Amino acid sequence: MATVAERPAAPPDQDRAAARRRRRRAAWRRQRVALLFMSPWIIGFSAFYVYPMASSLYFSFTKYDILSQPRWAGLSNYRFMFTSDPQFWVSLKNTLWIIVFLVPLQVIFAIAAATALTKVRHGLSLYRTIFFLPSMVPLVAATLGFLYLLNPAGPINRLLHLLHLPEPLWFVDPRYTKPGLTLIGLWGIGQIMIIFLAALLDVPKQLYEAAEIEGAGPWQQFRHVTLPMISPVIFFSLIIGMIQGFQYFTQAYVVSKAGERTNPIGYPQDSLLFYLSHLYQQGFERFHMGYAAALSWVMFIVTMSCTIALIRSSRRWVHYQGGFR
Amino acid sequence: MTAVPRAGAAAAVSRRPVSFAIRRHRILMSVANHSVAIALSLAFLLPFVFIMATALMTNQQVLSPNIWPHPFVWSNFKTVFQSFPFLRYTLNTVTYAGLATVGVLLSCTPVAYALSRLRWRGRQVAFMLVLSTLMLPPQVTIVPLYVIFVRLHWIGSLKPLIVPLFFGDAFTIFLLRQFFMTIPEELSDAARVDGANELQILTRVIVPLAKPALAAVALFQFLYSWNDFFNPLLYAGSNPNSWTLAVALQQFTNLSRGVLWNLQMAASLLFMLPVIVIFFFAQKVFVEGITLTGVKG
Amino acid sequence: MRRRLIALTALALLAAACTAGGGSSEPVQTVDTSANHAPLTLTVWSDFSAREFKVTTDALNQITKKYPWLKIKHVGSKDDTAIERAMSGGNPPDVAISFTPDNAAKYCQTGAWQDLNPYLQADKVDKNAVWPAGVFSYTSFENKQCALPMLTDAFGLYYNVDLFKKHGITAPPKTVSELADMAKKLTEYNPDGSIKVAGFVPLFGFYGSTTPNTLGHAFNAKWYDESLKPTLASDPNWAKMLQWQKALVNAIGYGKLQRFAASIGGANSEFSPQNGFETGKIAMMLDGEWRNAFIEGDKSTVNYATAPFPVDDAQADLYGAQQVGGTIAGIPKGVKHAAESWLLLRFMTTDSNYLTTLAHGLKNVPSTFEALKDPALQNDPHFKTFMDIFQNPKSTFKPITPIGIADVDMFLTFATKWQAGKVGDLNAGLKGLDSQISKQQTLG
Repeated sequence: MATVAERPAAPPDQDRAAARRRRRRAAWRRQRVALLFMSPWIIGFSAFYVYPMASSLYFSFTKYDILSQPRWAGLSNYRFMFTSDPQFWVSLKNTLWIIVFLVPLQVIFAIAAATALTKVRHGLSLYRTIFFLPSMVPLVAATLGFLYLLNPAGPINRLLHLLHLPEPLWFVDPRYTKPGLTLIGLWGIGQIMIIFLAALLDVPKQLYEAAEIEGAGPWQQFRHVTLPMISPVIFFSLIIGMIQGFQYFTQAYVVSKAGERTNPIGYPQDSLLFYLSHLYQQGFERFHMGYAAALSWVMFIVTMSCTIALIRSSRRWVHYQGGFR
Repeated sequence: MTAVPRAGAAAAVSRRPVSFAIRRHRILMSVANHSVAIALSLAFLLPFVFIMATALMTNQQVLSPNIWPHPFVWSNFKTVFQSFPFLRYTLNTVTYAGLATVGVLLSCTPVAYALSRLRWRGRQVAFMLVLSTLMLPPQVTIVPLYVIFVRLHWIGSLKPLIVPLFFGDAFTIFLLRQFFMTIPEELSDAARVDGANELQILTRVIVPLAKPALAAVALFQFLYSWNDFFNPLLYAGSNPNSWTLAVALQQFTNLSRGVLWNLQMAASLLFMLPVIVIFFFAQKVFVEGITLTGVKG
Repeated sequence: MRRRLIALTALALLAAACTAGGGSSEPVQTVDTSANHAPLTLTVWSDFSAREFKVTTDALNQITKKYPWLKIKHVGSKDDTAIERAMSGGNPPDVAISFTPDNAAKYCQTGAWQDLNPYLQADKVDKNAVWPAGVFSYTSFENKQCALPMLTDAFGLYYNVDLFKKHGITAPPKTVSELADMAKKLTEYNPDGSIKVAGFVPLFGFYGSTTPNTLGHAFNAKWYDESLKPTLASDPNWAKMLQWQKALVNAIGYGKLQRFAASIGGANSEFSPQNGFETGKIAMMLDGEWRNAFIEGDKSTVNYATAPFPVDDAQADLYGAQQVGGTIAGIPKGVKHAAESWLLLRFMTTDSNYLTTLAHGLKNVPSTFEALKDPALQNDPHFKTFMDIFQNPKSTFKPITPIGIADVDMFLTFATKWQAGKVGDLNAGLKGLDSQISKQQTLG
């Protein structure tokens, strides 16, 4: 216990000012170093994000085909989009199909596959490899593979024929193009499945034992123990799936263009016309760059809204171990 | 048996008659679980089998009732190399994927370091901005980026694909930052006390410790670039000399000559091959890397 | 000071006026072929591939015999999108060849392909003396001649003589009703009910010659009126054609036809040796005159003959006419050697030696009066059919508009929906299509 007299004497004013200056200089030096380290990203962010976004907003109010100067067009691109472009609505609907149907289906399938693997005693790593491998395959190769498999005269249909089941025309029939894409999508869930597997194995056994003691059956255990415990991973998969879903392009492009060369993207009957496909066609095949920019801004707003909505909703059903993030 | 059996004896007694039923139950469950796993495995492997089989067929056999090639035309793989400039496309793909990986590692490491181990004003804001670009749909920037690259005369080359990755990539920065944050502060402090500047701390302390994360990040970027279709199509699609394997493979479905499914499948397999090989050698890195993003994400 | 300012402003305005004026008022340079030239290699882009690519490359190299300083680098498999991307990317080919004349109006209007009128005038070429009138409908728009034909196409009927004999048919059909009847008669089935040999495949989206365009031509259906307003709903011939097509599709079976198409290799078999007609699996086919060359090149053994394509029963005087128009070539904006490009283009579109060599190799219809006189082609019975179709005054190309092939794409999407039975009210559907095309014209 120091007495008043034993407390160290206050440093003289000059020393305090000098100390303050030293601290400020050190802080400034730290700031400089940090900014130096950040510089690649700062340059990249300004050049490849900020400037293009502003530029794209400008282009959306013009008619521009690159060969000539942009011509101011006011809101006409947006007006055309909402009143005169039926393909806009089709592409929006198709993309929402992915977000609302395909992505959740992939997550469910991934959880199911991962759950099956948790019960396996021997050869877990072999199964894991097999399930994971298809998701490593480049999308173009996978799509070409399925184009062959699902050819109306191909192996899958021949199998269905043997089983006396109806043989759909798959990618030639607009009713079956999306189921075809679903098959490709389910084939490639390996990456998400691995994450779910790790999460499922992470759930403490005591929780299951406790639930069993209280008389919960397997389904109830799943609902009340497993699901809440893996809900952060579900949330993560849905967000990533949604962001990727808005950018769905490759599979649809490869399938459409694999038929008659002159077929438009989205063939047959625009069933494969997703938002990015429509944008690509308008901007980089028909060279309506201003319109493509307008389309991209609408997509930006839609994507942001959906992402924020999903994040907001997550507060209600995502359960984090050990309190808040 | 005494009236109050010891725990062990009681357990021994109760284990024997019950164990048969339980064992049978366990075996049945095991078979059931394994059947599901086996069924799923077959479903995942079947496409590979068919693709491989088709790659070895003659073109007449391809959509015929024969499911199995007869004879096995191994020369299809050689024909692929002879029919298309396959080597050039492979070179382009390796260049793109390799340089992209280098760029990402070089540019994202210091950025992640600054965001995790330095204290400075605006750090939170910067991190938020990095995250925001993760969620940004690239559509918003492709039109003006395309125009910029036209003015730079980079369209038709691989430059628009590679150069931006030397200026940071949000996903990589995020991953590395998360990892860097798990390295104890004391190590940095000790180095600072020893008189090291931040660059030396980064290169001599952090980077050696972060090798698993860096390996994972490098692998992800390499594979992402290897498999990338949209960006090479957009920026290099107009110049066949710059095509990557993904673009070339797709473009060949449109040869006026008519698609040859057997060659297409053979080419697809060759395209997949490096990925699968890398995967087998680097499995652990993969799985750890993915769980790094997902569970701790 | 103020006077100088006014003078400067005037000069600036004058300069602006001059550059904004557009190509037709500027003088163009042409090549003095007698003078010495530094060696130059010009690139030509086309969508040719395989055999056709080789034939065209060999023909193009003829120009080096004429002008030894000029070499040609011919790059194939470049469709219109690829050429447009190269133009927008700032490095266009020196001469571009396109298979899609529909885009010519767009190129003319935007200046993407240069107006050739000044060049033609400078070289004192009389357009109407060189080319038949029909070609200008698909190479010029609003007084700008931004393309010239490099050979041309005509569509007609190919039929399998052996299969005709087998089913007791003695003459090719002249009306669409006869075509439908014969198609059903000529179709052979497998034991399981699937099609073994198709009499005629009326599907849109299968082979590229069966389009709303070509079938519409047989019914004299008109796309646009003089003010370029779409008339798909108001011209009753469209509905007539679509009803006829669907009736035939239903009579044979939509699912069966699609499965048959897939079993012979789908749309991709069109230009391969597995082509359904060439392998005797399709008895009658609507196709362009180039099929003659493919049959020869693929060494197909099909015993065939050609005839004009059947027409609407009620408009029998149309018989002998069909869609014509084909390959066009032009000089993209921003080429480095415009004068030399014009020299090459002029060669490619007017030199009789080049055109007849190319016509023989590709079996395309010659596009100049001179080349049309070629006796070898005139004496080929399979080919003469198409030369006659081309010279029939009722044969036309579809009207071209600045929206390029967008209208064709939209109609194809509609037509595939229609043939699958997904359109309830045809008239309403066509009206919707008209409206969609009109709106697309506003996008500009």
